[in-house]
Amino acid sequence: MLSELFERRLLVVVGKGGVGKTTVACALALEAARAGKRTVLAEVDASGRAAALLGAAPIPLGQSRSVAANLHVLAVDGKAALQEYLGLIIPLKRLLDAVFASRIYNYFVAVAPGLRELMTIGKIWYEAERADDSTGGRRWDAVIVDAPATGHSVQYLRMPKAAHDAFGAGLVARESQRVMDLLADPCRTAINFVTTAEEMPVNETIEMHQQLCRELGLPPGYLFVNRVHYADFTAAEIERVAAGGQGLQPREDRAVLAEVVRRAHEESGWAAINAEYLRRLKREVRLPAIEVPYLFTEEFGVEQVQQIAAALAGAAAASAPRRGEP
Amino acid sequence: MKTLDRIIQQHRVIICAGSGGVGKTSTAAAVALYAAERGARAMVLTIDPARRLADALGLRQMGGEECIVPVSGSGTLSALMLDQKGAWDALVERHAPSPAVRDRILANRFYQHLSQSFAGSQEYMAIEQLCELYECGRYDLIVVDTPPTQHALDFLEAPQRIADFLDKNVVKWFVRPYFSAGWATFRLVNRTAGVLFRKLEEATGVAALAEVSDFFTSMAGLFENFEARVRRVYELLRARQTAFVLVVSPEEQVLREAEHFCRMVRELRVALRAVVFNRVHTEHSGARGVLERERLEALVTRAGGGAATAALVENFLRFEAVARGDMARIAAFRRRLRKAVAVAEVPNFDADLHDVAGLQRMHRYLFGAAA
Repeated sequence: MLSELFERRLLVVVGKGGVGKTTVACALALEAARAGKRTVLAEVDASGRAAALLGAAPIPLGQSRSVAANLHVLAVDGKAALQEYLGLIIPLKRLLDAVFASRIYNYFVAVAPGLRELMTIGKIWYEAERADDSTGGRRWDAVIVDAPATGHSVQYLRMPKAAHDAFGAGLVARESQRVMDLLADPCRTAINFVTTAEEMPVNETIEMHQQLCRELGLPPGYLFVNRVHYADFTAAEIERVAAGGQGLQPREDRAVLAEVVRRAHEESGWAAINAEYLRRLKREVRLPAIEVPYLFTEEFGVEQVQQIAAALAGAAAASAPRRGEP
Repeated sequence: MKTLDRIIQQHRVIICAGSGGVGKTSTAAAVALYAAERGARAMVLTIDPARRLADALGLRQMGGEECIVPVSGSGTLSALMLDQKGAWDALVERHAPSPAVRDRILANRFYQHLSQSFAGSQEYMAIEQLCELYECGRYDLIVVDTPPTQHALDFLEAPQRIADFLDKNVVKWFVRPYFSAGWATFRLVNRTAGVLFRKLEEATGVAALAEVSDFFTSMAGLFENFEARVRRVYELLRARQTAFVLVVSPEEQVLREAEHFCRMVRELRVALRAVVFNRVHTEHSGARGVLERERLEALVTRAGGGAATAALVENFLRFEAVARGDMARIAAFRRRLRKAVAVAEVPNFDADLHDVAGLQRMHRYLFGAAA
């Protein structure tokens, strides 16, 4: 069970592009929803990937939609968040409309460095802390953030501190402080890392863990190692079959066997690479690690995300990762 | 249909585009290596802060310094890593009217922040660097690895974004000494903006706004140059000597993004000459009947599989499922590609490609019989 992780309300999911970060964020959201938590998956730099993976229609920027029981997806967008925020601090609709229509405003939003990032993080803070209109309690039990790819994530998470330091006094500094307090609170927040066990993603994960947890002091959660290969056969066994297949007749059988051998090499090659980088990861990033086996599948959709969700829950429950099918 | 081999012979600039994590850097390095091994003076330019190319070529240190990678054959392979921060500074140094202005810009906090985090600045500086390398004329082929963004399009839109940022009509709002009478008048005359600026002042404190204003005032002299540069940059991207190569992996999401890229490429009038599919699993083309589990197991047993037989067959069939998906997605994608676009499929090897020998393994698949 991932219940220990779900004790934190805000789960940020970071990782290099192409490692399956969105998939893991979706799987976590499904698990949280299944555990009965009112869950929102916030997609930053909204590309609509999360909604698609959960089998939902695209979600307009700045809006949220229910995609399953207990589960909403929110497409976070800096510009939309800024408008929402200004709506809260300038309660004059006519004036606001004039501001939003003005060229200088749009220019400012487009160019002010870090403004969109700041607003995005601000919006996430707002969702994590906001009250439910009807009950007065919290609106969400779990806010899961599918953060943008590596370098950009660091920029986002760094922004409240940067803003706070830059604007010594004033509204931004006060608001930034509240956001920083939430991000740095280990009882409310956990930063989770997704990687594959390969050279480049592992290098980036080590670097990012250093930047986010050591330098920025953000509280770490889990390390999810995605697409791990485990060969169920030894090199010697592969070689034996390769040698035994040399004289096979007819030729077609020989060709099929060569392909069996080639794929065995591919699997054991990646299994070896994965094992090596898993060792390196666990040495450098001392976090509870959950391995997600590589999913051999023709297509990747909702069903596969559910399988991964089950694998996460299973792996978190077991002390050792399982082999074979998730 | 042209091959990738012909394309690198006929162009002087190859831009490898694609979303992050698809093997763009390896592809760019493999293309440059191939050209170098065949006698070209080749250069590969990478922008990746993760030093991916440094890993791929076994280089340790490439901070803005050109590296020579040893290759067999008569050509040369140079590699360059773009130091983004340094590149912005270099640009300011080159265009500042005086040392005093230069120092003022470099010391400006707004500038420091901007040069590190302005969306598109990485991409823009890559193109800047490309222009410079192109103009120096020391290379027959320059291969550019683009930043690992989620959206391949960022690279194409970056110059325009920078141009918009330096839009003279808007900049003039900011180009006025903050504490002069001009500012107060401006606030009175322009009520909407006035309210907004008052809010901004409340929010940020006057110092931050003054910093912004000062930045634009100092930069005012550089703008004329920028517009001309951005125009020139687009000229190079659209030039006959420039070819775009889109690198993808056969995953649903990546291909969807790639389709969007293909559409935009036409709108931006740049030439997409090739698509490289990386990490592809190919379906086994053997007779269907052989691929039933029982028959496969009998076959592997005959070859001496012993206790490992079931696991080896299971592994084969699992990969076959992945391969069916890959093949179907690639076929669907290729149907929508223009006929003139070259296509290469590189398999998912059994190892990471991080050295010259590894990159050479890609050549046969990238360049076909020519390699």
